Amino acid sequence: MRDMLNFYTKTMKIAIMTGFQYRVSQYFYMIGMIAEPIIYLVVWSTIANASGGTAGGLTAGQFAAYYIVWTLVRNINIVFTPYGWESRIQHGYLSGLLLRPMHPIHYDLAYFAGAKVVDVVLWIPIATVLTLIFHPTFTATPLAIGVFVIAIWGAYLIRSMALWLLGMITFWTTKVSAIFELYMAIELLLSGRLVPLSLLPGWAQQLSNFLPFQWTFSFPIEALVGNLTPLQLLGGLGFQALWVAIGWLLVQLVWRAGVRHFSSVGN
Amino acid sequence: MFRLMWLFFRVGTMNELQYRVNFFIQLFESLVSLGIGLVGLALVFSHTPTLDGWSLPQLLAVLGVYTLMGGLIKATIQPNMQRLLDEIQQGTLDYALTKPADSQVIVSVREVRIWETVDFLVGAVVLMIAVVQLHNSIGVLPALLFAGLLVLGGLMIYCFWLIITTGAFWLVRMDNVLELFQGVYQAGRWPVNIYPEWLQIGLTFLVPIAFAVTIPADALTGRLTWQLVAGAAALTLGLLVFARWFWWFGLRHYSGASA
Amino acid sequence: MSSPTHTIQVSGLCKTYSVTEREPGLGAALRSLVRRKFKAVKAVDAISFEVAPGEIVGFLGPNGAGKTTTLKMLSGLLYPTGGQVSVLGHTPSKREKDFLRQITLIMGNRNQLQWDIPAMDSFDLNRAIYHLPESDYKRTRDEFIDLLDLGELVNKPVRNLSLGERMKMEIAGALLHRPQVLFLDEPTIGLDVTMQRRIRTFIAEYNQRYGATVLLTSHYMADVEALCRRVIVIHHGKLLFDGQLSDLAGRFAAYKTIVVTLEDPTTDLSTYGTVVEKEGAQVKLRVPKAETPRMTALLLSECPVSDLTIEDPPIEDVIERVFAQEAVSS
Repeated sequence: MRDMLNFYTKTMKIAIMTGFQYRVSQYFYMIGMIAEPIIYLVVWSTIANASGGTAGGLTAGQFAAYYIVWTLVRNINIVFTPYGWESRIQHGYLSGLLLRPMHPIHYDLAYFAGAKVVDVVLWIPIATVLTLIFHPTFTATPLAIGVFVIAIWGAYLIRSMALWLLGMITFWTTKVSAIFELYMAIELLLSGRLVPLSLLPGWAQQLSNFLPFQWTFSFPIEALVGNLTPLQLLGGLGFQALWVAIGWLLVQLVWRAGVRHFSSVGN
Repeated sequence: MFRLMWLFFRVGTMNELQYRVNFFIQLFESLVSLGIGLVGLALVFSHTPTLDGWSLPQLLAVLGVYTLMGGLIKATIQPNMQRLLDEIQQGTLDYALTKPADSQVIVSVREVRIWETVDFLVGAVVLMIAVVQLHNSIGVLPALLFAGLLVLGGLMIYCFWLIITTGAFWLVRMDNVLELFQGVYQAGRWPVNIYPEWLQIGLTFLVPIAFAVTIPADALTGRLTWQLVAGAAALTLGLLVFARWFWWFGLRHYSGASA
Repeated sequence: MSSPTHTIQVSGLCKTYSVTEREPGLGAALRSLVRRKFKAVKAVDAISFEVAPGEIVGFLGPNGAGKTTTLKMLSGLLYPTGGQVSVLGHTPSKREKDFLRQITLIMGNRNQLQWDIPAMDSFDLNRAIYHLPESDYKRTRDEFIDLLDLGELVNKPVRNLSLGERMKMEIAGALLHRPQVLFLDEPTIGLDVTMQRRIRTFIAEYNQRYGATVLLTSHYMADVEALCRRVIVIHHGKLLFDGQLSDLAGRFAAYKTIVVTLEDPTTDLSTYGTVVEKEGAQVKLRVPKAETPRMTALLLSECPVSDLTIEDPPIEDVIERVFAQEAVSS
């Protein structure tokens, strides 16, 4: 639908304009955000260097590559959080969105997608500095790069769905933080956010194969730095598509129930 | 000043008691956070016997102090600084300034998140387990040194945050500066000694995380030196003086006095 | 969909909430940890009315009377607990896209526009949301810019606008899709007199040009008096009055004011009624409504009167009295 495309481009444009105005505070956020992977990187590089060059089969240079690409992937998979949901309901913005003849998720998807443009521009100097300091080893085929570019948006969509689902819990309770923190903990451990999945014990790796988390962090990163085979690369995209579809379905179901509840108990 | 602190504490507590669920939620979140820390340690030690000369019990002690200090920060320092920042940015600081008490005290103690002290307790438990594994008992002197260094570290973090937040008087667009700190504070999970030299300096003098976590932990893991203690005391004093002066300077700017 | 006789039809509309009771003090706070008490609150209690196309109806009522709740049920944001609602032939709570495209809900102190960018960009976004053809959109937009005297303000970031300017922008943005039904909840709250008048004129103009139906709630009698011939009075969720504004005083007023201009300023009129004001030769007398004809006749026959007029009490006083009374036989 041409109108929908028009809506997406307009919203993205607005996100870019607004994001650019807040670039200073966005930089603060980003620097705080890269502290996390840098810490992991330093710890694992120390272990690798002390254990004869590799830890879990990865050299310090490979860890550096992993975690630096991590920062880009992390930027891309930042989406609307349950805390935003709470704020939105509190300030009455959700009512405004409900009055529009359009599903509110489109606004969030479009807005955050637009914000990424500014984020990536701000990220480039940071990545350059990190590369100079930590000397990542980096080899990637054109196919890998192509898959990476698609995979990060797949990760974006999967995480958008997941966090929208979590956010909708606020329809029923204001105490969503506990569930959200639990989700974040599991995601941290099983998505490749804390460590490359190959460093996890076998049973954990098996478990994460059945969960959507690895497709939001590990897969895009590994696509670029992990020397995956073409089969793995394309198969991974397929899995991402599957999880996006599952997520979309769940969002529609829960949304209907959520709006019914929201409209019954007052707002 | 202490009476003021007690009054704010009482009101804050009464407020929070209404929300008993918050206690369980907070406990749950603390345990989840701790769980992640323990998993991290487990993963590290599944690939190596020591980390840069630090043993598992020693790192556990650091994790304990990190959690404990984190609880203190989230209960007392963070909510006050966040509120101060909001008020400066929205121009509603005047309410705090027109009260008949020292403005720095008011903006520093009026908010209390009582449930965050759960982190303090959880961290203390972890710390005790770690110390028991290391020494089988805690001597009086190390314990006192630890407590003292903890207080100094906390004061340094407070000064650091107050100085940064005071900067908002000039640089109004400071959203996310507290997120920045929270991100950098995570570096305290691990002893700062493992970081590259330049980062260590940053984490000691720029953002005093070394003094908040690693050095108090040193008191209980047997790595403390007298230079560190003296340094901590001197730095704390210096920061307190500077923070107070900077606050006064910022207020004058805020109320339009010529610099 | 063929339009029914009435744009809005409401029958026996109810909204009941279940709220927890909380008392102040530390003891009660601790007790509430163990046992919670619930209370059923009737926000809207069996309201019925009908609105014809193009009517402007004013909702009057004190805070918490149920006005906003009613508007929310009419716009589909709240599900009624009982009764029936029909707006433009649709059931609002179904939130059908066709329905949403024809209505708008404007709340006085809520922002729908993007904060950091010029309003013009938010308008563009609304065009995309409501699928407005470009030429229609441009025409409507420029018309509004002209009517509301927005001028160059549309190109300034919304956060740099004053409260009044922002409200004008919000209204313009909310009407770009030319809705047929307008729900306005305290649209002029917090604005200065000039701005209030501007907005009132705009709404009247919009109603004239597009024949839109308008439901308006307000604290300001000036809004209601300027725009609405018909008012609905709601208090404690119940409908107390539904009719012409001019009849409101006639029904509920307890007194009338007789303004007498005397030839002899020293005449004492205190036996005829309560003297409210005395300025030179002019005296304002408050007289119970039932007594007015008799008192008027007595004044004219017994006193040196050069001029006499009879006034209804100000609407505010009437409304106050209506609320104080609450239960009125219709």
